[in-house]
Amino acid sequence: MNEKHRSIFLTVVMAAVLFGLSFWAWLKPADRFSESERRVLQSFPELNADTLRTGKFMEEFESYTLDQFPCRDGFRSLKALSVLHLFQQKDNNDLFIEDGYVSKLNYPLREEMLEHAADRFQSLYDNYLAGTDTKLYFSIVPDKSYFLAGENGYLSLDYEELIAKMREKTPYLEYIDIFDKLSLQNYYRTDTHWRQETLLPVANKLASAMGVSLSAEYETQTLSEPFYGVYTGQSALPLRPDTFSYLTNDILEGCTVTSYDTGAPQPAEMYDLSAAASADPYELFLNGADALLVIENPAAKTDRELVVFRDSFGSSLVPLLVEGYSKVTLVDIRYLNSAYLGSFVEFDNQDVLFLYSTLLLNDSLALK
Amino acid sequence: MLFSSIPFLYYFLPCVLLLYFLAPKRLKNAVLLLASLVFYAWGEPIYVLLMAGSIASGYVLGLLIEKFRGKPLGKLFLIVSAAISLGLLGYFKYADFFISNFNAVFGLSVPLLRIALPIGISFYTFQLLSYTIDVYRGTVAAQRNFITLAAYIAMFPQLIAGPIVRYSDVAAQLKSRTHSFEKIALGIRRFILGLAKKILIANALGELCDIFRVSGDQSVLFYWLYAIAFTLHIYFDFSGYSDMAIGLGKVFGFDFPENFRFPYISASITEFWRRWHISLGSWFRDYVYIPLGGNRVGKAKWLRNILVVWLLTGFWHGAAWNFIVWGLLFAVLLVVEKLWLQKPLQKTKLLKHLYVLFFVVLSFVIFNAADMKQALSDLGAMFGMGKLPFYSTEWSYYLRSYGVILMLAVIGATPLPQKLIAAMRRSKTGDKLISVAEPLVLAALLLIMTAYLVDGSFNPFLYFRF
Repeated sequence: MNEKHRSIFLTVVMAAVLFGLSFWAWLKPADRFSESERRVLQSFPELNADTLRTGKFMEEFESYTLDQFPCRDGFRSLKALSVLHLFQQKDNNDLFIEDGYVSKLNYPLREEMLEHAADRFQSLYDNYLAGTDTKLYFSIVPDKSYFLAGENGYLSLDYEELIAKMREKTPYLEYIDIFDKLSLQNYYRTDTHWRQETLLPVANKLASAMGVSLSAEYETQTLSEPFYGVYTGQSALPLRPDTFSYLTNDILEGCTVTSYDTGAPQPAEMYDLSAAASADPYELFLNGADALLVIENPAAKTDRELVVFRDSFGSSLVPLLVEGYSKVTLVDIRYLNSAYLGSFVEFDNQDVLFLYSTLLLNDSLALK
Repeated sequence: MLFSSIPFLYYFLPCVLLLYFLAPKRLKNAVLLLASLVFYAWGEPIYVLLMAGSIASGYVLGLLIEKFRGKPLGKLFLIVSAAISLGLLGYFKYADFFISNFNAVFGLSVPLLRIALPIGISFYTFQLLSYTIDVYRGTVAAQRNFITLAAYIAMFPQLIAGPIVRYSDVAAQLKSRTHSFEKIALGIRRFILGLAKKILIANALGELCDIFRVSGDQSVLFYWLYAIAFTLHIYFDFSGYSDMAIGLGKVFGFDFPENFRFPYISASITEFWRRWHISLGSWFRDYVYIPLGGNRVGKAKWLRNILVVWLLTGFWHGAAWNFIVWGLLFAVLLVVEKLWLQKPLQKTKLLKHLYVLFFVVLSFVIFNAADMKQALSDLGAMFGMGKLPFYSTEWSYYLRSYGVILMLAVIGATPLPQKLIAAMRRSKTGDKLISVAEPLVLAALLLIMTAYLVDGSFNPFLYFRF
């Protein structure tokens, strides 16, 4: 091949890639939503003199071209594979994969976040709990990195320090340690959360610490669809899906669940099976993200009540505590301003459990 | 608009290439000018008028300088041209620096102007200056075609981050240039390699520098990792951009001057500056240093000339004291080297390279600091004066995480890969293999880089602020 032929070959190959992708990008109809990233994609921006003058059109057009690029998910996978395998970087966009489990670097320990969380808890205590007959408990759920990061050479939080600091800042709460009841196998490989079907030892430890004994048997229901957790889309890696199971029994099926998410009471489900086919099947548990939810258990052998301040980890755990209470109230102060809590809950003689994951405590600005 | 962006690569560039190669010869410069104005207006809708004004003044004054060349009026028009160019540069880039220093010295509180810096103003101002000075000197003829001159100044491949292409470099090609598959292939190869330097190496190392800055787990070794990463980052960022500019220039039929020649293999600081940002160094040499007398004067004047040039070089890079100190550091090193170190260093084999790298790394720590206070604190921390541990967990993690990229960067900063390919090409089989594999490797690189861009990673060009 002489120099001219070589140059023609190179030019043709490169032009085919450049113009091929360019024509495809120009002609491809715009997508509205990215399933893998669970977000609305940028549509073609408004073009007028004002958006051109201010640069708004250009800015949005850049987002549009990134969001609407042909084979976007495929390219994201190519990037993730290049980062992790070609360039041997330890993580891609803070996500790492080890033993088939995907996890997010939860690092460093952010004292100001712990301070914020403790401040919100203190406010709840001062406004609603101090001087009442409520019994107050606190438990921390470790994120997956606790089991994966340190021993595999990734940056890892000082979890002992996190617990010590949170306990120090919340002397009015009795701490229940559940770390010893958990291992990596309690978590989904492709999602942030823990697997409900493995959480009975955790539920028993919490219940026992609160003076409640649990003895119910559960039936494990497994969804036929494969479960691709939130990290599947975020990592853009070709991951093997998880199976998704939940535990049920007659007690849970006899409970009534009411959501106060919009202020007015709305009937809800312990397990909303319609969410199984959604982008986030974990929302099957207790209505997904819900500001305030009340579970009433007519089969309870006691009139004890439980109030749980929680994040999403609580959604799958709390059903396993329902057996021991006549009424369980779940409050998520990420979605409900704690100043309005008094309109919905009267605190008197309940068990009150603060159940938060290390992921949220170390990134707690969402707590209101 | 950034070269390393999806809008440029897959929307702007294909349209421009189609228009350019479909346009008849006499319209090619107009197509380039139009494309360049769109390219500039994309990021700076208002400042495109400023650039147009600068070009118009350069055009008119160029003609007047030529008309009155050798007469007092010619000199006057040159002074007016320089005053306009440097005045605009001074106003937009340096006004707040002078106001804040004035305030500090006299205890006043004159409000700052807080003007956004027009992208690439330092580059196109220097191109315009070189044009009018060359016309005054009679080394080039004034350009009578406004579109041709505007296409030269505004030409998008080199508009916002160089190299500083002098009018004399491309005057003939602006009038008539040839296009060939050989030249286009050369351009494509250069552009893709420049893009890879930017996206795969410079951006990753830039991320590492950013991680270091916000880290709460700093240590002496982490400071050194940062300093080395930044030194490699700035080289791959800036030389990557120059490669892309030169490559695009070749596709459009131009031969832009080289801007980098493996500066980190230099055996002296003098050599370093012959290999680093060559177009800026030669600009200052030809338009400041030599007119001041260069080295053909007494020692005192020579020292003055060196100081002036390096003060200006530092100041050109940014309106802050750390840039001035950075420039002056090189002035001191060059003087010391020329007076005392040249001969002893020549006798060493490895030491001369380590000496260059040591001071270059330190200089870039000063260069990248937010201010002199941070520069001194960074330098102090590197030498154990920051009361920091010797190493830390984060240093160890990021060294492992970026190890391959750092290794590739170190190898890529030397001529080794080029020599390897040249050696392969010398055998018949190797040459055949490269001929077939090269387009496929370049295409694969383009796809991987597209993937990085689609994933929306870290991407700013460092030299846009100059």
